[in-house]
Amino acid sequence: MFDSVTSVAMKSALDALSLRQRVIADNIANVNTPGFLAGRVQFEDALANAVRTGGDGGIEATIERSLEPTRENGNNVNLDTETLSNIDANLRYQVATRSIDGGFTAIRTAIRSA
Amino acid sequence: MTFDAIGIASTGMTVHRKWLDAVSDNLANVNNASSTDGAAFQARYVVATAMSYGEPAGAQVAGIELGSAEGRLVHEPDHPLADEEGYVRYPDVDMSSQMTQLIMAQRGYQASAAVVDRARESYQSALQIGRN
Repeated sequence: MFDSVTSVAMKSALDALSLRQRVIADNIANVNTPGFLAGRVQFEDALANAVRTGGDGGIEATIERSLEPTRENGNNVNLDTETLSNIDANLRYQVATRSIDGGFTAIRTAIRSA
Repeated sequence: MTFDAIGIASTGMTVHRKWLDAVSDNLANVNNASSTDGAAFQARYVVATAMSYGEPAGAQVAGIELGSAEGRLVHEPDHPLADEEGYVRYPDVDMSSQMTQLIMAQRGYQASAAVVDRARESYQSALQIGRN
């Protein structure tokens, strides 16, 4: 029950979203660091694939460096984009925690009704 | 070593606060006169680098670079520090550049402070799992 596709996939999503938040924190901390290239965390496609192909839903999120044009100091962190991604990742994380919580609530209800 | 979002954001705040410190030091000394045989006040420039231990780990101050010690010579014959030809040395601190840096450092600090807030929200939602 706790290693069902849903649980494992949700855990993968939580881990990846948490990594994305760390990477965004790193990008914003380095917003003025010369030569710094913004990091991007990709996991959505891999996770969708893992669930669709009937795997256990476990994936590893990867960090890639943005290849967008840089400013004069070799830095390409865009504060607007990072702020939006930060809010987006934060909300997605909350959705994922609620979903996991909902799963546990269902199990608890089943235990109580026995 | 794992770094959490709040810890990473705090490294960004530290770097930008040090930058603010450097700018305010430069501005405080912008009118420091010295005699022509001495060195002028040298502007402080913070050198920031990214930290990474495989995982993203935030930013750090790698060191402080000093501006020109030559400064600029100003003709002020009445100045007590003036040499025989009436020159004193003033630091080569560009006021407009310093003010621009002040705003950049302030905005960078605020951006990292906002990240702390949002990371806290995420952690709190994680604490709610299994509560109900």
